[in-house]
Amino acid sequence: MSDFKKILKNNFWLENPVIVQILGICSTLAVTNNLRNTLIMTIGVTLVTALSNFTISAMRNLIPRKVRMITQVLVISFYVIMVDIVLRAYVPDVSKALGPYVGLIITNCIIMGRAEAFAQGNRPLISFWDGFTAGLGYMFVLVVVAFFRELLGFGTVLGIQVLPASFPKWTIMVMPPSAFFVLASFIWIAREMQIKKDISKTSQPSGGEKK
Amino acid sequence: MKFDRESKVYTVVFTFITSFIFLVVLSGLNVLTAQQVKRNQELFTIRAVLNAMGIQYASDEDAINTFNSKVKVETKDSYKVFSSEVNGDMIYAILFSGSGLWGNISGVLAVNSDVSKVVGIDFISQSETPGLGGRIEENWFKEQFRNESIVDGKVVVSTTKVPDSKDDGQVDAITGATLTSKSIEKIIATYIPILKSLLGVN
Amino acid sequence: MMYPNINPLVLFFASIFTSNILLTNFLGMCSFISISKDLKSSNGLGIAVTLVMTITTALNWILERYVITPMELGYLRYIIYIIVIAAVVQVLEMIIDRVSPNLYMVLGIFLPLITVNCAILGVALFMQLRNYSFIQSVLFGLGSGIGWWLAIVLLAAIRKKTENAPVPAPLKGVGITLITIGIMAMAFIGFAGMINVQ
Repeated sequence: MSDFKKILKNNFWLENPVIVQILGICSTLAVTNNLRNTLIMTIGVTLVTALSNFTISAMRNLIPRKVRMITQVLVISFYVIMVDIVLRAYVPDVSKALGPYVGLIITNCIIMGRAEAFAQGNRPLISFWDGFTAGLGYMFVLVVVAFFRELLGFGTVLGIQVLPASFPKWTIMVMPPSAFFVLASFIWIAREMQIKKDISKTSQPSGGEKK
Repeated sequence: MKFDRESKVYTVVFTFITSFIFLVVLSGLNVLTAQQVKRNQELFTIRAVLNAMGIQYASDEDAINTFNSKVKVETKDSYKVFSSEVNGDMIYAILFSGSGLWGNISGVLAVNSDVSKVVGIDFISQSETPGLGGRIEENWFKEQFRNESIVDGKVVVSTTKVPDSKDDGQVDAITGATLTSKSIEKIIATYIPILKSLLGVN
Repeated sequence: MMYPNINPLVLFFASIFTSNILLTNFLGMCSFISISKDLKSSNGLGIAVTLVMTITTALNWILERYVITPMELGYLRYIIYIIVIAAVVQVLEMIIDRVSPNLYMVLGIFLPLITVNCAILGVALFMQLRNYSFIQSVLFGLGSGIGWWLAIVLLAAIRKKTENAPVPAPLKGVGITLITIGIMAMAFIGFAGMINVQ
């Protein structure tokens, strides 16, 4: 059981795919000026990562080496298309707003990365968990980015006005460049926290009480 | 089970079977949802027409009912003209399509009966850059056109800040998306003469 | 079928400058950030991306027009596109290896990276969504490729300088790179006034 916990901790925080490796932001960063779209998009990514990890792991002893990559791509595309069809039918507004970005989940490096690094050599259930937590870690970062972009850019959260109308809206937050700035600030803070923790950990045995 | 995983035959059979299973599931799902997708498409148009005309609706169901009961559709010169009476005034709307910076922008343009005012505008599809040209779908941008006067057959989308007046025929453009904003101006200028001739107004 | 009435040259220049696929659509970020550490590799990858993007956009356009649309296979579009991209990359790798071993030394290692470069699939999807004609698609693909190339080379050059700059430790590496990209993105949007061909 502790394996599951360790994976959760690693994927969500210590080795968060976005904070540490900046993987997979291509498909979602463009829609982070709207929290609702980001939420739905990242839920899609999480589901696809978890399910394709599960499937690839379940098939891992059957996949011929020569077509390994293409099989992985096929499995991932399969789930992405499912997500796309479901969105198109049941949440058409979101599907319209996300446009081609849903399809781009296929090339999200996190999914391929988890399939290659984890699902290939582990059992289905734990692979599912690995993909799911990696997706959660990804969702966490992008949702925070989207929250601040929408809040400062429109004064709203999930479309509900929260800041007073007198608040001057930061147009730059709606525009693409701000995604980089907000993400960079987030990484700055997250790394600061991680570094501090590392220092306090290493200094503990020596009895030092440093921050 | 003993397979030679690296043999050619196995590779081909494996690839074939896997692809086949995936295709069957996907095409099944596609067929199952086709009806719903088509309905959504119609709904987009219906909602855009109502939004442009400034007719309120509570839900998707309500939108369809309102549309069916209040809006009349006729085809004139191969254009679909929607008309409705709101607060005693006749409002006419037309579907438009024109090019933006990246691709076609389509939507609905509604005007009053003597084509002196834009009643409203709404977009059905566009593929402009999210956060830049894509902001034409934001309410503040569309609401600028609400009851804006048409001056010299057009509504100017100005890149410099314009006063909040409904009589000057000017609205604000989107920061960083000049070309998209200007495209909207061009599209409106193209469709106003069409509307005038369809409605028989000079 | 109605193609948008847009001058292909406008698409070409807009996709390089004002709406750079990387800086406004965030496509191809993964390899962008990891490779831009080194100027030479950035240049190699840039060329490879431009080449593959142009070829796959053209091929996917033909497939879209003559296979996907007539057979109503729209829901399989993603799979078809990605397979085309993977196949083109493989074939290109073989051709370059045979024809010019020198070029292979430069590009070879980058080619496999390209299959999962979202910018390539992105351009193909945009091309379909916006209903471009063949010429428009090819120039859009070429322009986006060149835009990507330009952005990565510029970033690599800037990163060489920021490497030695006194950046706060947690911001080092990825953090400062993202801020650099953000400033570049703002600068590129500034090109908007320059290109007014319409």
